[in-house]
Amino acid sequence: MSLIPAALATATGLGVAGAAAGLVLPQRGRGAVVGVLTAGVGVAGGASGVAALGGSRWSAEIPGLLPLAGTHFAVDALSGLFMAVAGAVVAAVAVYGVGYVAGHGAHGFGSRAAQALLPLFALTLVLVPAAASVSTFLLLWELMALTSLLLVMAEHRARASVREAAVWYAVMTHLGLVLLLAGLSVYASQAGGETFAALRVGTAAMSPTVRGLVFVLTATAFASKAGLVPLHAWLPRAHPEAPSAVSALMSAAMVNLGVYGLVRVGFDLLGGGPAWWWLLVMAMGGLSAVYGILQAAMASDLKRLLAYSTSENMGLVVLGVGAAGLFAHAGDKVLAGLALAAALLHVVNHSAFKSLLFGAAGSVLRATGERNLDLLGGLRARMPITAGLFALGALGAVALPPGNGFISEWLLLQSMIHGLAVPGVTTAIVLPLAVAVIALSAGLAAAVFVKALGVGFFARPRTEQAAAAQESPLLMLAGMGLLAALCTALALVPGLLGDGLDRAVAVVGFAGTHPVSGGGLRVRLDEVSASLSPLWVVAALTVALGAVTATTRWASRRQRRRMNARLWDCGGGAPTPRMAYTATSFAEPLQRVFDDVLAPEQDVDVTPVRESAYLVERVAFRNRVPDRIEHRLYRPVLDFLAAAGQSARRLAGGSVHTYLGYGFFGLVALLVVLVVGW
Amino acid sequence: MGLLRKIRDTGRVAEPAPPEPDGEQPPAAKEFGGSVQVRCVDAGSCNGCEIEIAGAFNPVYDAERYGARLVASPRHADVALVTGPVTRNMAEPLRRTVAAMPEPRLVVAVGDCAINCGEFAGGYGVEGAVSDVVPVDLVVPGCPPRPAEIVAALRRVTGR
Repeated sequence: MSLIPAALATATGLGVAGAAAGLVLPQRGRGAVVGVLTAGVGVAGGASGVAALGGSRWSAEIPGLLPLAGTHFAVDALSGLFMAVAGAVVAAVAVYGVGYVAGHGAHGFGSRAAQALLPLFALTLVLVPAAASVSTFLLLWELMALTSLLLVMAEHRARASVREAAVWYAVMTHLGLVLLLAGLSVYASQAGGETFAALRVGTAAMSPTVRGLVFVLTATAFASKAGLVPLHAWLPRAHPEAPSAVSALMSAAMVNLGVYGLVRVGFDLLGGGPAWWWLLVMAMGGLSAVYGILQAAMASDLKRLLAYSTSENMGLVVLGVGAAGLFAHAGDKVLAGLALAAALLHVVNHSAFKSLLFGAAGSVLRATGERNLDLLGGLRARMPITAGLFALGALGAVALPPGNGFISEWLLLQSMIHGLAVPGVTTAIVLPLAVAVIALSAGLAAAVFVKALGVGFFARPRTEQAAAAQESPLLMLAGMGLLAALCTALALVPGLLGDGLDRAVAVVGFAGTHPVSGGGLRVRLDEVSASLSPLWVVAALTVALGAVTATTRWASRRQRRRMNARLWDCGGGAPTPRMAYTATSFAEPLQRVFDDVLAPEQDVDVTPVRESAYLVERVAFRNRVPDRIEHRLYRPVLDFLAAAGQSARRLAGGSVHTYLGYGFFGLVALLVVLVVGW
Repeated sequence: MGLLRKIRDTGRVAEPAPPEPDGEQPPAAKEFGGSVQVRCVDAGSCNGCEIEIAGAFNPVYDAERYGARLVASPRHADVALVTGPVTRNMAEPLRRTVAAMPEPRLVVAVGDCAINCGEFAGGYGVEGAVSDVVPVDLVVPGCPPRPAEIVAALRRVTGR
């Protein structure tokens, strides 16, 4: 009996038990029991994922579970990678959630419904990568979408904006489902079977047009799940409004499944494709990377900022996936393997640091009731552990050593730069652009997280809520601590993933380049002769920092007398917190630089006093940076739909006679058509 | 090339420095080693003294050749050059300015108003002379003092 089915069965059992516990238990103790069971789901799912990464495979058919189609499961290293990531995130976030729910009342995240749905959501996150037939996959996919949707709505009583976010999320995720359903249905009908095995076999006989159609439909659906621009509109709405534990799960585990789907369908099932598929994917990835991080740079809402950063990171991942497809199409399997490995490693890293960041943001939200960075500040002194954890997560997100994001982005850059060896005009144009995109987004990410950390946690508190903040309960810190340990491990010894990454890449038929194997301490690329030792980088940085600190201390000790002086404030009053940099003012130079892209809206209202137009009574200044793509792309569609609905209302005047008439004439028309037509 | 040669041939054309001023160098000034950074504080002056201070640092009097240099922050300064009677609004900023200067530090009161409120003594907005607010080490009398007198005072501080 292999470990995988046992672990998956355990996960399913614990998930269902957790849902039942959430439903029946009284509010006291509900959070703890559900949290423990959810953590169990995560551990079991993660264990099966790790086992799959270790090289074991498992597949099974359970015919009786679903009518007509039955259910099919298969776990290989690729699904194992995503299961392991989801499992680890779920386990840590479940621990965090127990602490998070303790401070909430009977409504919101602590409610019966939310607590019953949380284990189910966790379970679907773990099970989606294990699905091995179209119907099983779609069923779990939709279950995941529905449970997450209901969890997003958990706090709808507290804020009206939750409802709007939920509507956006519901519509977007179901549009994605429609595309996915259409794509996979076409695929299954053309391939002559709906199990993944049958799809793999049937692909060869399909015409390129149909394959292209299937790919475009499914890739669009997966891109919408991964939050890629321009299908990202739900992400910066739903993630901030969801309870923070749910945001962490969505941002660190759910969006990954979009990438999983893309890799599974694009590489594994369809077996790669022509260059234009992957150029499309890369275009979407590059656009998301730059646009996502630009919007994150403009955001003042901490969770919205993190959500846009998710969009950026998924963009980078998808850029890597697209590059892998392009290399595979050109016949360079080694580079394709490297690009895909870099993309998958970035998925892992992003999950680790983003769940940590969302956890810390939730911690801040819980302590202050405030997400707006402009109203925070001074939290480092009041919530030192949360601040430290946020800093660790931010270090991962800025893609600088010694953060964990650096390693995967470095690999991604290596694959792009060495990809120039692949002959062809396309690569010669696309790859330098991709390198520029990665570099630009990494640079902007640094500004974004300096802003989030500096404005949110340093300086002095700008509001009473921020001044009264207190450190979060131990369990929340413990959950974040687990994630922080994961981030640190990934940053120091990415070799811990070992051969698992290679196996995951090998699933889709690329030669493993063993980027992170080889003793675990070095990232070595034999094929393209490049290497990186994260541990040495960290050691060198630590030594340098220590040396600088020690020298400064030593130099200052030689001073005879030390004096404490007040801050030089030009002799006027002490500077107030209102004078400090806010998130908006910090982002202002960037906003100026990218003025043409962002198209900020500024409005100055000057109200003169009644007696004289020269004396000003009040000046109001408003500055908004709307999501321009959303504005231009979605607003016309929504306006059209609203107008169509309004005009259709005339048909429904409220008179019963009219409705009866519709029925009668409709029936007659149908009969006429049937008589004439057939 | 011609310019360089001209520079070499001409040599120094500055006039020799005037004789050293009378008076002791203040004890704290010895630590400055001949290089003194000066911060001006207008504590309520009519700006007459400011014009003369500007004159003291112009090319004619050139106080910088004796080692005195104007700086923009008390954090960089060794000497505060305070002018005017200290008004109520400027009393606290003056105290803070002097407190913000690193030790050793000197306060030089420039002009009659700084020494004894001069014309403005007893005014409703006047807090008092500079010495009523911060300890004064050196005074430069005059309404306004001539640039040469200000330079002389600064030379006593720099010792050059």
